[in-house]
Amino acid sequence: MDRTLTSFIAALRTAEVRISPAETLDALSAVELTGYHDREFLKNTLALVLPKTIDEKETFDNTFEEFFKFNDITGQRKTDSEADESDQDSENSGEGTGQSQGLGANRGGRSSKAGAEEAGVIDDEDSTENLGPGPLAEPSSALGVLLMQNDRIELNVQVAGAAKVVKLEDIQVFTQKGLYTRRILEEMGLAELQREINSARTSEDLPVRRLGRELKHRQDWLREQVRDYVEKQFLLYADAHGFRLREELLRKVKLSNIEHRNFRLVQEIVYRMAKKLVALHSRRKKVYKRGVLNVSRTLRKNMSYDGNIFDLHWKSIKVDRPCVYAICDVSGSVSNYARFMLMFLYSLEEVMPKVRSFAFSSDLGEVTELFERNSLEDAIAKTLRDYGGGSTDYGQALIDFRKKCLSDIDNRTTVIILGDARNNYGEAHQQVLKELYEVSKRVIWLNPESRSTWNTGDAIMRKYTPYVHQAEECNSLIHLERVVGNLLRTVQ
Amino acid sequence: MCQLSWRSEPLISPVPEQFQSHIGNKQEISIPTSTDANTLTEIQKLAESVDSLKQSFEDHSYICSNQIATAVYLAYHLRKPVLIEGPPGVGKTELAKTTADMFQLPLIRLQCYEGLDEAKAIYEWKYGKQLLYTQVLKETLDEVLQGAQGFAESVNRLHEFGDIFFSQEFMEPRPLLKALQEEDGCVLLIDEVDKSDHEFESLLLEILSDFQVSIPEIGTVKARREPPMVFLTSNNTREISDALKRRCLHLYIPFPDMDLEQRIIHARVPEIPELLRKQLVAFIQELRDMDLKKVPAISETIDWARTLLLLHTESLDPDLVRETLNVILKFQEDIDNINTDIPSITNKAVNA
Repeated sequence: MDRTLTSFIAALRTAEVRISPAETLDALSAVELTGYHDREFLKNTLALVLPKTIDEKETFDNTFEEFFKFNDITGQRKTDSEADESDQDSENSGEGTGQSQGLGANRGGRSSKAGAEEAGVIDDEDSTENLGPGPLAEPSSALGVLLMQNDRIELNVQVAGAAKVVKLEDIQVFTQKGLYTRRILEEMGLAELQREINSARTSEDLPVRRLGRELKHRQDWLREQVRDYVEKQFLLYADAHGFRLREELLRKVKLSNIEHRNFRLVQEIVYRMAKKLVALHSRRKKVYKRGVLNVSRTLRKNMSYDGNIFDLHWKSIKVDRPCVYAICDVSGSVSNYARFMLMFLYSLEEVMPKVRSFAFSSDLGEVTELFERNSLEDAIAKTLRDYGGGSTDYGQALIDFRKKCLSDIDNRTTVIILGDARNNYGEAHQQVLKELYEVSKRVIWLNPESRSTWNTGDAIMRKYTPYVHQAEECNSLIHLERVVGNLLRTVQ
Repeated sequence: MCQLSWRSEPLISPVPEQFQSHIGNKQEISIPTSTDANTLTEIQKLAESVDSLKQSFEDHSYICSNQIATAVYLAYHLRKPVLIEGPPGVGKTELAKTTADMFQLPLIRLQCYEGLDEAKAIYEWKYGKQLLYTQVLKETLDEVLQGAQGFAESVNRLHEFGDIFFSQEFMEPRPLLKALQEEDGCVLLIDEVDKSDHEFESLLLEILSDFQVSIPEIGTVKARREPPMVFLTSNNTREISDALKRRCLHLYIPFPDMDLEQRIIHARVPEIPELLRKQLVAFIQELRDMDLKKVPAISETIDWARTLLLLHTESLDPDLVRETLNVILKFQEDIDNINTDIPSITNKAVNA
């Protein structure tokens, strides 16, 4: 049973619940105590030991339901097969009326619609040869015996066993589903059954032919069952894997190449990255400055030392939060990058110092308020609408920025400029940047183009780079994460 | 019997931590030497199954879900601390208190706050006593050193007396150490652990995983016979570190559903008529679905039930609700927001 638990934990891990080996051991000892007999009890127990946040608890609930569903179906099946037994009884007593056989086919159909269709087709085929009611011959193949016994619990156990043999848990992409279904069936002895069916159907003996027909129905039913099982396992083990692959890709791909349909996903990734950074940087630094001695507190604190003052206390001053200014080029070529950078900056609200953002293509305007009042998506869309589309003029934008907020910038301010420095052969006004460079703590220039093209055509990075502390290539989520991570380290 | 004397100790009551230490100073702690075998077997009997625990909680007017009872069950059998999270007022602290009550164990409570350090949580030296004793002993110093030749010999003589000033007698145990020293075990409640600093969390790790603390001057203090049952509560004002979470069972207590809340009210305010109980719970449940700054918790439902009882209410009506709304909603903004909706919500609750 330990293997069940470890594979459950593997499934949880695929679903992004972090579980350490120590917690696995805890789970094992907890389950040793509680046992597997009571499903709700087991769930409650594992819910206490394995997931450690509210989000994880939700994922855990879903995964648990999904994972232990198989057992559940067996439980239901028990009643089902009891019904079958009574069916069979009637079959035996009434010497198998055609009705009850039809019922059997329906039963297969009930398990899955596709099965019903198939069964229907075969029924048509069979109707050409009316076998009529009558006794059935004894099946000879092992799987055939099992199918005719209608022992679904045993069948399920066999399916699970075969799945283990063919290593179903290694399934990765959905196209493999058919392959694995086939393999499991083969492992269970499909070939032998097939042979039996074929020989039975061509047999002279009527009961044997009836058996062939019945076996065919049940084989189809079994195939459906196995397909369902594979589907479920795929969702459990592999879907998240594929998802992660896609995510990994999206992190690396150039932001301008991200398709619109993936925006949602990217936003999720950004949010998750931001959360990681938040966790990393949320360790609150002591924002106290040593300055003036707090006399009364010191005296009070040193009473216990017989009035000998050796534990000093200081008046604390809260340090103001530093400010980050983000200036984004939102003209056509760079707008997508701006979108993701703003998304990133504002997802970090919790730990990020105060962010003021500005957007420009030809004229520059402050968009901080837009972000305060609207949801992130709306704000970005509005920014792009209002400021995007013009022809870029970096010189003008810098002058505008100086006019607006040079006086607000002090030696704790970080200025981030996002743009490709393609100035349409306009005036660079790099002396404005120099001014910013002198008064601020850091000026960071993020350029979405690769370094080799920074000075080609109308790009004038070479004029600006002397006046920035750091110039970085930044065109994928990974770059963004790195830049923002560094930023957090320095601004706090 | 000795359990009873423990229960009358002021330490058990939720006195703020800083006051507790003074109380502790005044009276010598009498550590019960006779072990009460009865209580132990009784605890074992109570903790035999989840259902027996649940029943016993109910007997102590704490209505809990299976999940909560399972948590206590596992905590007892696996000797693991429980980290309880959930919105304020769902009975996180109450769970620890009731557990102590149920098992008849002393409750030792450590209220966390920013700046809490080991001197306040684990132990501190009794500086005053140390100073006093040195003053008193100054006179006898000559006797001790009589006949000693030179500095080296004097120091050697002093060494013979050992580090008396840094022994158990001069140590002031704070809640965590006190919990370890309890002979028959106890319930240790570390309340609002999210309010403490990151450093303090790391301090807790040793206690939580091994039930021991290391004190440089003395060595490692291990739990006596029965390790304490530890409950930590958190309001999620910040993420608790993974290291701490890893060592705990994690219990999330959400707001109760209609049925459970009714039973809670029934247990806590038994005098309230059934009709009114149904209505007020329905009303509160309705409120929780609304967009409010702070949704009412169970404790507020109980308060409201008591208020309505005091006003001899038979059934909810909009005016009454409006007048008593400040019992359940703690922000003027929220009160203003739902003001217009009161008649419709009340109607819904009455007809539910």
